[in-house]
Amino acid sequence: MESYVTFSGLISQFLVGLSRAMILFIVSSGLSFILGVLRVPNVAHGSLYMIGAFTAHTLAVAAGGGVAGFWLAMVFAPIAVALISLVAERLLFCHLYEREHLMLLLFTFALALILGDLTKITWGADYRSLVAPPFLQGSVPVLGTPFPKYNLFLLAVGPVAAVGLWLFSNKTKIGKIARAAAVDREMVGAIGINVSWVFALAFVLGCFLAGLGGALVSPTVSITLGMDHTIIIEAFLIVTIGGLGNMWGALAGSLIFGISQSIGVLLWPQFAIVFPYLAVVVILTLKPSGLLKSVW
Amino acid sequence: MKNEQFFSVGRFLVLAGCLLAMLMPAAAEARDIKIGIVDTYSGPAAVFGNDALNGFKLAVNEINQQGVLGGKIVFTTRDEQFKVDIGLNVAKELVLKENVDVLVGTINSGASMAISEAVAKKEKIPFIVWTAKSENITGKAGHRYVFSTAENTAMAGKSAAVAFAKKPYKKFWIAGDDYEYGHAIADAIWRNLKKIKPEVETIGKTWWKPGEPDLIPYLTAIQTAKPDCIIFATGGASMANVLKAIKTTGMENKIPAWIHTATDHSVLKPLGMNAPEGVMGTIQYHYYYPETAANKKFVADFQAAYGNPPGFPAFNAYTTAQLIAEAFRKAGKIDKEKFIDAMEGLKVDTPVGKVEMRACDHQAVYPMFLGTTKISKEFGGAIAADIITLQGNDVMPTCEEIAEARKQK
Repeated sequence: MESYVTFSGLISQFLVGLSRAMILFIVSSGLSFILGVLRVPNVAHGSLYMIGAFTAHTLAVAAGGGVAGFWLAMVFAPIAVALISLVAERLLFCHLYEREHLMLLLFTFALALILGDLTKITWGADYRSLVAPPFLQGSVPVLGTPFPKYNLFLLAVGPVAAVGLWLFSNKTKIGKIARAAAVDREMVGAIGINVSWVFALAFVLGCFLAGLGGALVSPTVSITLGMDHTIIIEAFLIVTIGGLGNMWGALAGSLIFGISQSIGVLLWPQFAIVFPYLAVVVILTLKPSGLLKSVW
Repeated sequence: MKNEQFFSVGRFLVLAGCLLAMLMPAAAEARDIKIGIVDTYSGPAAVFGNDALNGFKLAVNEINQQGVLGGKIVFTTRDEQFKVDIGLNVAKELVLKENVDVLVGTINSGASMAISEAVAKKEKIPFIVWTAKSENITGKAGHRYVFSTAENTAMAGKSAAVAFAKKPYKKFWIAGDDYEYGHAIADAIWRNLKKIKPEVETIGKTWWKPGEPDLIPYLTAIQTAKPDCIIFATGGASMANVLKAIKTTGMENKIPAWIHTATDHSVLKPLGMNAPEGVMGTIQYHYYYPETAANKKFVADFQAAYGNPPGFPAFNAYTTAQLIAEAFRKAGKIDKEKFIDAMEGLKVDTPVGKVEMRACDHQAVYPMFLGTTKISKEFGGAIAADIITLQGNDVMPTCEEIAEARKQK
């Protein structure tokens, strides 16, 4: 039964898992960032991911559906999601940061349901599909095993996003303030920094990442209602195993989740569903606070 | 004082009498037939739920111009959210609180089985399954109160097996959604194929959770095993994802694949010119085939009303409405048991010709169309090409087989 598992197959499957982990990282790092800085467990994060995918499709179609449309969608769909989140932050979230976590959980859950229905009203229930530009379509042989070109592209984008996020939070002033606010927000406020706008920016950045994830994933899946549910569960699991609010934890969690899934599919296809969740159970049993230091 | 009271009692009696008199003819007069619809209107499968609802609405509008037994067909819908427990709850609510005469729906085979067993059978209310395809619904779990106007896994499985038997494939891989429908269709095709061509073998199986968004890791893993052919046992929720992943992984034209309903336009249309070619599919309805006058009229009316051509759920639901109306007319009154008797063996006109509700198992007899996806410039995307028609009676289990299956249960 397992005779077909070759070394090249294993490598190729590892790379597929790695590229899947990139999407997971982009989405869950946004969730983790919001959790870390704002202490908001944002269940509506998945909805923004879904809206990112739908918006990407709409933009690509509006731009004629060609190569230019694709790049336009990749750039502007996350920005559109960021704008939506800015409105949500200024109108709703900014009044709620001091509330209990349970309240926030219920609030964002309600928001997720509302956004889900708004998506259905805006775009309808039909399947949508975004087409990758011709040079990213099909597959190339990697060690003799066919490997989807678009996943190679994701492998390139993931590290760029990770480095960009690292540069932002470590090298820019606003990033440093956001990190400081994550550790001790009273202190940051006390030294005269307008915490409100730092929070708004952190929220928008986190949501931008959700939109980016949605836009990037759209050429590999069909864009449908319900894609919010799957991703939000995965993203929360990743953030939990990585350590709440820890960016590198989100990266570690995504890699574990994505790779355990793809390797599991190869080695034990009938029970593939179990693998990422098994990894989560093992990690949380051994280290309940997550792999890396949680900011909570 | 006493007089006054007497007067008011008298007045009450007169009023009550008047009211009764008003009600009497109303009770004797015809009432509307109430249909309760349980289907999925949220999540990825909503596209099929909406399509079915539109088909039903179109038929009901036509039927209500004449009326049925002097009344109209009215309906109310509930969203099962593709979940068995929710489907069961809303079905109970429709029966117990809304007092519907007939239940119809759903797309989820698991939910359909649950409603059939716990609501239809228990409350003795007719339930017509219109999209869910598990053969168990009218097969081993069938009973007097459940009907199916969907083509089922047994029919699809046999059709595919007949087609595969003519191809040189030996090593098969089965991959699909890990729920009732996925396993039912995989079993059906394998059982039939093994019977016709005993030398075939399955070299592996993959099951993913229904609606799994990213199937690329699954498909790349299957590719390394180099099967001759892949049988995809996926339902509504994963259908579009599979087709997209076939294209993305470059599997198209390299490893042949078969998916029941792959040739459905609601799945192919969003992919446009980028739909994978050469994917085999079976289905009981195409809006562009067969090109009969009745089908053309149905498609034109549907397109005018909803802006899209009808898919197979719309066709199933349209047929369901015709059956309901005809059965009540034949029964002569709104009576659940008489309705069931009238349904058995009933034949109605549909866009693809006469469709019979088989008396022995309550399964609608449809022809099956086997096609292969092919890009058509005229349609701006993929359609089913090289269509082979298999007659319903040739691909359905016989009444004896059904009786045997029910006995075993």
